[in-house]
Amino acid sequence: MATRTVIVGGGAAGIGAAGAFKGAMPAGEVVVFTEFEDAAYSPCGIPYVHGKEIPSFEALFLATKEQYAQQGIDIRYETMVTELDLDAGAVTVAGKGREPFDRLIVATGFDYADPGVPGTDLQGLYYVKNIRRAMEWDKVLDSVKAAVVVEATPLGLEMVTALAHRGIETHVIDHRPWALSDLADPDIVEPIHQAWADAGVKMHFGVELKGFVGEGRVRAVETSEGSIDADLAVVCTKKVPNNALAKAAGLKLGSTGGVIVDDRMATSVDRVFAAGDCTEIPLGVTNVGVQGLTGSHAYAQGKVAGINAGGGHRTYQPVYIPWGMVAGDWMIGGVAFGETAAEALGIPYVMGQAEGISRARYFPGVRKVKVKLLAEPDTLRLIGAQMAGGEGIKERADFLAMAVKTGITLDDLAFMENVYSPPIGALNEPIALAAQNGLSRLGR
Amino acid sequence: MAPAAWLRHNAEHYLLVAAQQRVAGRHGLTVPLPPRQAKDRFFLSVFVPVYQRLPWNLRRAVLQRMPGSHRRTWHQRARSPLGPAV
Repeated sequence: MATRTVIVGGGAAGIGAAGAFKGAMPAGEVVVFTEFEDAAYSPCGIPYVHGKEIPSFEALFLATKEQYAQQGIDIRYETMVTELDLDAGAVTVAGKGREPFDRLIVATGFDYADPGVPGTDLQGLYYVKNIRRAMEWDKVLDSVKAAVVVEATPLGLEMVTALAHRGIETHVIDHRPWALSDLADPDIVEPIHQAWADAGVKMHFGVELKGFVGEGRVRAVETSEGSIDADLAVVCTKKVPNNALAKAAGLKLGSTGGVIVDDRMATSVDRVFAAGDCTEIPLGVTNVGVQGLTGSHAYAQGKVAGINAGGGHRTYQPVYIPWGMVAGDWMIGGVAFGETAAEALGIPYVMGQAEGISRARYFPGVRKVKVKLLAEPDTLRLIGAQMAGGEGIKERADFLAMAVKTGITLDDLAFMENVYSPPIGALNEPIALAAQNGLSRLGR
Repeated sequence: MAPAAWLRHNAEHYLLVAAQQRVAGRHGLTVPLPPRQAKDRFFLSVFVPVYQRLPWNLRRAVLQRMPGSHRRTWHQRARSPLGPAV
């Protein structure tokens, strides 16, 4: 029987859900409501357009509005949903009235955490999210002389690098002691700090944001160490779930504030699914919910929700969160826990680390690759990894995420097989060297 | 903010602050502690030391009791048996 599914949110999760729903139930009707002018583009690419590494914003769009219409996906742009009535099976759309649903998928995404300081109402504060606003801001950047990036989160790192690459005097302030310090260890981030210093970035770590100052428009950022003159502030605070609608509708929320879901992305209410940054997902290593993952996670969760809303059966899995990013000519990355996060939770671990190389030692372009592996002390099962190097970090992070997920141990990794081909791989794989060093430290 | 969310938000923040101090020290870095207001003092002087003294199994049990997606159904995918695939 054909079903009408309503999706609230047109980001990666919402569009992934819409396509998957049509695949599972071609005769079903799917309506996507988004408050924005567009759907289905890659917001993750915005910093790279600002940094002039990607020539235009148009490259970030996945498909045209006509293509979605041809697929039978009815997207209602610039349309605000103001209420979810789960008992009646309808959503309220501002200025339009009620829209009924048989299945509902909540994909409302994230907001940036409120900086909680005076001056957030000034012009000149940029929250990187919407591509149309990004296009407008990109023109503004041509006349910006000095910018302050607030918080060295993953997006903050990308924006610092982009603004510096564009020749803007760039400051980064963070109350934490180093960049990405909730995620990465100081020795892993050190090459990023060096790359920023080389690019002229002024780093202010361990510094509290006190406010934004100006008359109508920001002209300075006030910190615990004084004032920084700036005509732009890029606010890159932590992502928090955008769950006002879900909460008001009575969906259960977890301790992260994300919507509670099961492995079918089903919420606490029958016929209602949720996906993406508005949800929380168990971290496989600890079985504790986490929130604020990547676009890749959101898209996959959306597909699972869409298939299940369309009468199919698909399950999502706990996450292990491989991550990676680039600054200058360095890459850093990892999976699950590093030293800092394991220390914070008080998780017992043993560690092996090594510095290897990315290609044969004699091959042009060879770069160092540092690997740290964390393992559970009794079984030596891998619980996390961190890496820094010149190339091959993403592929190693993906591999190590699967290694953590499948219960691989330091013993397994110490004598793993690896590709040895001078242009792309060294005789000794850095991951294996790190595992061997870990075993050696344990006297094994 | 719900009580569980408030506790988690603050616990995560202050446990990370304390961990960053220790890890920075191991790597030869000195990082300043945040300003000491009443809430900072409570979490850094009382909560963090008490949490760190608890055995991991007890901490894990407390974490599992928090409301969240981890308390719903998440099936483990069956692994293929070891040995030759064909």
